[in-house]
Amino acid sequence: MISLQNLVKKFGSFAAVDGVSLDVTPGEIHGFLGPNGAGKTTTMRMIAGLLKPDSGRILVNGHDLATAPEAAKASLGFIPDRPFIYEKLTAGEFLRFHAGLYGLDGDVSDRVREMLEVFELGRWEDELVESFSHGMKQRLVMSAAFLHKPQAIVVDEPMVGLDPRGARLIKQIFRRMSERGVAILMSTHTLEVAQEMSDRISIIVKGRIIARGTVDELRRMAGSQDDRLTPVFLKLTGGGGLQEIDEV
Amino acid sequence: MHHAFLFLLLPSYLSSRNRARRRQRGDLLRATMFGGIGLLVCGALFGGSFWLTWQLGRYAELGDYLLRLGLSWLFLVFLSFLAFSGLVSALSTFFLSEDLRLLVVAPIASRRLFYARFIRTVGQASWMIVVFFVPLLMGVGLAHCARPAFYLTAVLTLVPFVVIPVAIGSAATLLLVNVFPARRARDILMLTGLLFAASLVMLLRFIRPEQLLQVESLPDITDFFATLQSPVTPLLPSFWAGETLFASLQGGRDLLHAGALWTTALTLTLVLRAASERWYFTGYSRSQEAPKARFTRLRGLDRFVRALPISSIRRQLLIKDLKVFLRDVSQWSQLLLLLALVLVYLYNFRVLDLERIPYMSGVVKNVFAFLNLGMAGFVMATIAVRFVFPAVSAEGAAFWIIRTAPISLRDFLWSKFWTTIVPVLIFTEGLTVAANEFLGIDPFVKVVSAAAVVFMGLALVGLATGLGARYPRFNAENASQVAGSYGGVAFMILAVLYIVVMIALVGWPSSVYLWTRVRSVPLSLAQQWMIAACFSAAAIMSLATWWLSMRAGVRALQDLDRG
Repeated sequence: MISLQNLVKKFGSFAAVDGVSLDVTPGEIHGFLGPNGAGKTTTMRMIAGLLKPDSGRILVNGHDLATAPEAAKASLGFIPDRPFIYEKLTAGEFLRFHAGLYGLDGDVSDRVREMLEVFELGRWEDELVESFSHGMKQRLVMSAAFLHKPQAIVVDEPMVGLDPRGARLIKQIFRRMSERGVAILMSTHTLEVAQEMSDRISIIVKGRIIARGTVDELRRMAGSQDDRLTPVFLKLTGGGGLQEIDEV
Repeated sequence: MHHAFLFLLLPSYLSSRNRARRRQRGDLLRATMFGGIGLLVCGALFGGSFWLTWQLGRYAELGDYLLRLGLSWLFLVFLSFLAFSGLVSALSTFFLSEDLRLLVVAPIASRRLFYARFIRTVGQASWMIVVFFVPLLMGVGLAHCARPAFYLTAVLTLVPFVVIPVAIGSAATLLLVNVFPARRARDILMLTGLLFAASLVMLLRFIRPEQLLQVESLPDITDFFATLQSPVTPLLPSFWAGETLFASLQGGRDLLHAGALWTTALTLTLVLRAASERWYFTGYSRSQEAPKARFTRLRGLDRFVRALPISSIRRQLLIKDLKVFLRDVSQWSQLLLLLALVLVYLYNFRVLDLERIPYMSGVVKNVFAFLNLGMAGFVMATIAVRFVFPAVSAEGAAFWIIRTAPISLRDFLWSKFWTTIVPVLIFTEGLTVAANEFLGIDPFVKVVSAAAVVFMGLALVGLATGLGARYPRFNAENASQVAGSYGGVAFMILAVLYIVVMIALVGWPSSVYLWTRVRSVPLSLAQQWMIAACFSAAAIMSLATWWLSMRAGVRALQDLDRG
C-alpha cells in the first residue's frame, strides 16, 4: 500500500535519508523507530508530499507520488507531530473544508459527525479550534486524516500531547482501521507503543534502515533475551539512543 | 536576583542588536525605502513648522498668541493619541508577550517587573510621537532663534508629557484585563482604536482646514483656536507642556507648569505601580484563560458561496479564507480606516472648486481624472500589499493541510487570486467611477479610466499574489509583518513603477485625443496608430504582469517541496 524504493534526501552534503526502501502492506501497522535526527520525520514528510526526494520512488496505493501526486495523496491520510490547523474555523467547518479538499462532494455532515464522535469531539463541533487544547487539536487532525477513508495513514508521533484516555482511544482506532485493511506507518519514540501496536518495525539510523522485522525478529537480531523493546532498540542503534531515552 | 530592573530590558536590547547584526536579504532595500520616506517626512515637518513659525513672527503679538495656542493644540491632539497607544501597548507588554511566561515564573519582585514593562510600554507607545516632535520643535526653535535652553526644555517637557498619558492608558488596560479576558480585550481595543483613527481622519478633513490658509480668513483662525480653549484646558498636561515650551521659546522659564508635568508623571507612575502590585497578577492570570470563543457562524456566507458556479475545492477554499478573515478582528477592522480615507478622498473631489478657473476647468478636470486613476492604482497597491500579498503566508503553520491534500498548488494560488480580485475591483472601480462623476469629466476619459482600472486590478493583484507565494513568511505573527517584509517592499516598488508606466501609456494618448477634440480637428492616421499602440501596450503589459507573476508564484510554491 505504501512502497518506498531507494529514497534519498540530502540537505546540502548531509544525507538525511540515504537509500530507504520500505513496504507497508494493507492492514499492517508498521512502526518506524530511530533516534533523533535519524531521518524518520524527513521520510514521512516525503511520503506526505511535503518534501521532494532527490531520488527514489514513493508509491501510495499504486500511485507514484512524483507523477500522480493527486491520486497518491487522495489515498493517504497524514497526521503530523504538531497539530497546526486554522484557529478561526470550528471543528465542523475544518472537517467540511478537509472533505472538500479530498473531493468528498455532497452532504458530508453525517460523516463529519461520525468522525467527531469517534474521536470524542462531538460536542465541540461548533467551537472554534483556537479554544481547543493540544490533545483536542491532535484528535481533530486525526479525525480529518480518517475522514476521506484513506487506504494508508502516515502518522508522526501520534501519542504526543494525548492523555492516557486519548492514547488508548487512538490505539483502538488504529487497530480497528488496520483490521479494515488500512496500512499505517507510524513513527514514535514511545517504544512500548511501538511494541504493543506494530506488526513489523523498521529502525532507521543516520538515514538508513538498519533493521526490520517483528519484535521477536528484532530481538533475535540484537541477541537480546529481554521482553522489552528498549534494550533491543539501544543495542541495534549502538547505544546512540540511550542518552535520548535518559533525557526523556 | 538583585539586578536592577533595567536587567529585564536586556533581552529586548540584545534581540534588537542581533537583528541589526544579522543581515537579511532585502535589509538594505527596506532601510533605504523606509529611511528615505522617514527622512522626507521629517524634512517636511521641519520645513513646515519653520515656515509657519516664521510667518507667524510677522504678526507680532497675534503671531505669538497663535503659536502658543498652536503648541497647546498640538500637544492636546497627541495626548489622546498617546493615551490610546499606551492602552494598546500595555496590553501587549504587560499581558500578552510570550516572554512573560519566563519572567512571571522567575523570582522577580513585582515592582521590578512593573518598571521594566512600563519603560517598554512608554517606549513602544511614544517613539513615533517623539520622532514627530523632534523636527517640528527644531523648526519652531530655529525660526524663532531660540536659545539652547529651549531644546533642553523640549526634552525635559516631552519625557513627562509622554509618561502621563501612557500611565493612564496602562491603568485602563489593567482595569480592562481584570474585567475581560485578554483576547477579548485585544479585539475590543483593536476595533475602538481603528474607529477612533477613522473618526479623527474624517473629522480633520470635514472641518476643511484648507480654509484657514486663506488670508481673508485670519480672524477665523483665532476663532478656530479659541474654540479649542475651555475651562478644562488649563488642567490638561498638553496645556502645561505648551506653556512650558512657549515660555522657554520667549527666553523665560515656566517652573509652575514644568513642575506640574513632572509631579503628575511621577505620581501617576507610583500610583500605577501600586495598582499593578495589587491587581497585575490577577489580570495576568485571567489573560491565560481561554474562554469559549464567541464568533459569528456566517451561515449566509456558506449559502452564498455554495450558490457560486465554482468547483467544490475552490468553494471550500473560498469559504475557509473568508471565514478566517472575517472572524479575525485585527484583519477586517483595518478596512474601516481604509473606508474613512476613501470617504475623505471622495469628499475632496466633491468640494474641489475647479469652476474658479473657468477657462482651464475642462483641461484641469481631465488631468485630475488621470491623477485619480493614479490614486486608484495606489489605493489598489496598498490594499494588495496589506491583504493580497500576505494571503499565502496567512496559511501559516497550517499550510501542510493544503500541501498534503490532493489538490494542485496552481488551483490553490488561483483560488487566492480570484478570492481577492473581485472585492478589490469592485472597490477601486467604484472609487474611480464615483470620483470621475464628481469631476464631471469627458465620457471618453471615463471609459478609458474604467477600463484601465480593470487591467490594473488584474496586474496588481496578480503581482501581489505571485510575489506573496514567491516570498512567503509562514512564521510571521501578523499580516502587517508580512507586508513589511522584503517581498512586500519589492512588491510596492514594482507596483509603483507599473502604475507610473500605466498612467503614461493611458494618459498621453488620451490627452492627444482630447486636444484634437478641443481644437475640433480630426485625429491623423499616425495619431490613431499611436493611441492604439499605447492602449495595446498598456493592456499587454498588464496581462503579462498578471500572468507571469502568477506563473512564478505557482512555481515557487511547487519548489517549496524541494525543502
